[in-house]
Amino acid sequence: MASNAAVPFWRAAGMTYITYSNICANLVRNCLKEPYKTEAISRERVHFAVSKWTDGKPETPTIRTDTPNV
Amino acid sequence: MAMAALRREGRRFAPLISPHPMAAIRSSIVPAEEQAPLGVRSISTQIVRNRMKSVKNIQKITKAMKMVAASKLRAIQAKAENSRGLWQPFTALLGDTPSVQVKKDVIVTISSDKGLCGGINSTSVKISKALNKLNSGPDKETKYVILGEKAKAQLIRDSKKDIVLVLTELQKNPLNYTQVSVLADDILKNVEFDALRIIFNKFQSVVAFLPTVSTVLSPEIVEREAESGGKLGELDSYEIEGGETKSEILQNLAEFQFSCVMFNAVLENACSEQGARMSAMDSSSRNAGEMLDRLTLTYNRTRQASITTELIEIISGASALEG
Amino acid sequence: MLRRATALLTRPVISLRARPFSTDVSETPVADTSFYDAWKKVIPTLEPPHTPLTFMKPRPPTPSSIPTKLTVNFVLPYNSELAAKEVDMVIIPASTGHMGVLPGHVATIAELKPGVLSVHEGTDVTKYFVSSGFAFIHANSYADIIAVEAVPLDRVDASLVQKGLAEFTQKLSSASTDLEKAEAQIGVDVHSALNAALTG
Repeated sequence: MASNAAVPFWRAAGMTYITYSNICANLVRNCLKEPYKTEAISRERVHFAVSKWTDGKPETPTIRTDTPNV
Repeated sequence: MAMAALRREGRRFAPLISPHPMAAIRSSIVPAEEQAPLGVRSISTQIVRNRMKSVKNIQKITKAMKMVAASKLRAIQAKAENSRGLWQPFTALLGDTPSVQVKKDVIVTISSDKGLCGGINSTSVKISKALNKLNSGPDKETKYVILGEKAKAQLIRDSKKDIVLVLTELQKNPLNYTQVSVLADDILKNVEFDALRIIFNKFQSVVAFLPTVSTVLSPEIVEREAESGGKLGELDSYEIEGGETKSEILQNLAEFQFSCVMFNAVLENACSEQGARMSAMDSSSRNAGEMLDRLTLTYNRTRQASITTELIEIISGASALEG
Repeated sequence: MLRRATALLTRPVISLRARPFSTDVSETPVADTSFYDAWKKVIPTLEPPHTPLTFMKPRPPTPSSIPTKLTVNFVLPYNSELAAKEVDMVIIPASTGHMGVLPGHVATIAELKPGVLSVHEGTDVTKYFVSSGFAFIHANSYADIIAVEAVPLDRVDASLVQKGLAEFTQKLSSASTDLEKAEAQIGVDVHSALNAALTG
């Protein structure tokens, strides 16, 4: 069931569907005409801090900002 | 009645009315300006005045916070309503199966970073813990993914070892799909799961927030349920267009579903947060107003009492001089 | 008191035939009640949380004859472009190619690739460029199209498209790691689809 079929090239490269669709969406947004383009880009800004926990102990959080294409 | 009051006041201040009226007058003026009450005197007006000033400030601040929350709510409510269409197709297709039993449960608790928003965060945490208890069993494990500081603070106390991921600082920029999908992506990459249960407060109205749990199943479990018939039995009747195999599409679908459901959940929770903050601040300013009224009464009473005392002292001193 | 509240919650679900699927009436309510029952047994003091099903309007079952119109829900994360709109046909850019969907289409789950989505209503045709997403076509002639980003074609700047295409073609040839190659390949795909949409 797992990989008996050819996975799409982006999954083989380690991307998830979410990453793929975000890249596509961003590329489309970059090709918009002017007022729509700035409006769309300013709408989709990313910022959050993620910290992974192992055995009840947090690691130092990594901040992810403005990299909508992960 | 006035005489009784006078007599009462007189009795209270009797020890201080000394044979030397001048000294009595001076001593009656001085305590009114001192901070600490002397002996049997009631609270001096200064203390009451200070307290009134701070309560008034609190009232102003909470009123301002309510206005701010109201304006933020308006902005984000529009977004939340627009995003409601996003999860409905998934529920229409894959149904809603909160009772599916899986081996690896991941509970995603959504909460706020800032406080002063009423009880919504504690409700979410209570429901998460209850869900954990509900799904616990032999060879089943449940892990937590936490969004927001408040839930982290509460869950750290007893479920420290079950926490896998903590995400904070979400609301620095206005919420948008890209942010939440990157978040969802991080969760997918770092956590193994058979079922994701997302707990959030759905915004029904400014005074009503309904705790809700949304379930997203991993593609393997979806296949298992589809094959065993039951709720997802219909899924097999759907043709698959695009991609090579059904499992590949299902995997993409599961990821996309998670991202969309998370987006709606985060938005609804943010709305609930602002709404709860509005009502919390509103009741807070109302309480401050009531407290201010009570303090004003006390202040006036104290003021009148000290005036009465002075009058008594003057008059009794004057009559002592004459007589 | 709690039990009655939850019974009230579940009753409408059963009686309304709140079925997300198009056939077979009795399945979903059973799922809900088993969740509520299990909850009540383990946690009697707390009221159980709601589930998305309680917030959804039920979908109609499959009609016996093919309906005349297709009901389309076209949603984006920030907006619902079309909500329960009745149209004649939609052409969706599935990853296997453009697919026309008419009322009475067989139930399908389609993954979308970057391409043009056109909605045909009588003589009106509205075209959107969709970046990626999914389309579910149900047996009751309901079509749900969920896209991450969709723009009307007149908002696309052709010169930026050409520039992007050239840039990514060049990146593709110079890419080294798998990830870079994949990203460049996606760029090429999206820009050539945009190009085709503008010119075609």
